[in-house]
Amino acid sequence: MTTRTASRPIGATVTDTELNMPIIDMAVPMPGFPAHRQFVLVRLNENGLLYAFTSVDDPNLRFLVAPPEPFFPDYAPEIENDVFAALNTKDPDRLLVMVVITAGVQETTANLLAPIIVDRDSRRAMQVVLTGSDMPVRAVMRQAY
Amino acid sequence: MLVLTRRAGESVMIGDDVVVTVLETRGDVVRIGINAPRSVQVHREEVYQELQTVNREAASPDEAAVRAVTEMLRPAGVEPPGD
Repeated sequence: MTTRTASRPIGATVTDTELNMPIIDMAVPMPGFPAHRQFVLVRLNENGLLYAFTSVDDPNLRFLVAPPEPFFPDYAPEIENDVFAALNTKDPDRLLVMVVITAGVQETTANLLAPIIVDRDSRRAMQVVLTGSDMPVRAVMRQAY
Repeated sequence: MLVLTRRAGESVMIGDDVVVTVLETRGDVVRIGINAPRSVQVHREEVYQELQTVNREAASPDEAAVRAVTEMLRPAGVEPPGD
């Protein structure tokens, strides 16, 4: 499977390493953002604790996302077969789980109800709503260490 | 809004690909089954609205907010200047 790479949009400011990054295709767009079908994952933290899920169509649109494990060690979202189908998943162990962070000076929260699931091989992703769970959309984050 | 009346076991088609079926009614509760292609998301309306709202809140945080998150990730034991 070839990995297509994103070229720098004209006029956009490059503040992080975002050149030569594989494009992630949204199998289903994020609720509230139907026009944004392609994203790149820009690493913001050298320990891989924070990324910017950045729209290719408009790099001004980005979501801070993080792997949940360091912050919510008991978080184990169950991913259903229909997600595997949507993402063309061959190996569920190759799925990456990221939670969307609502950043604030007073409080920073993570959306545990609807993580973004990325298939590392197919490079397809979607925000999966864990219907039926009581997960919070605004779970307060703590310092990882 | 298009309003239709259905009995349990009857269905409604939306477009060519979405079928909504009334499975059973019990008092004021209706159980609904939905058949849709995997590209069409189906959610309880209030859940979807909340999800949209949170996504919009989370989108493109300003510099102060990004700084607050980056600070949060700093390993303990590193004192910020001036503290």
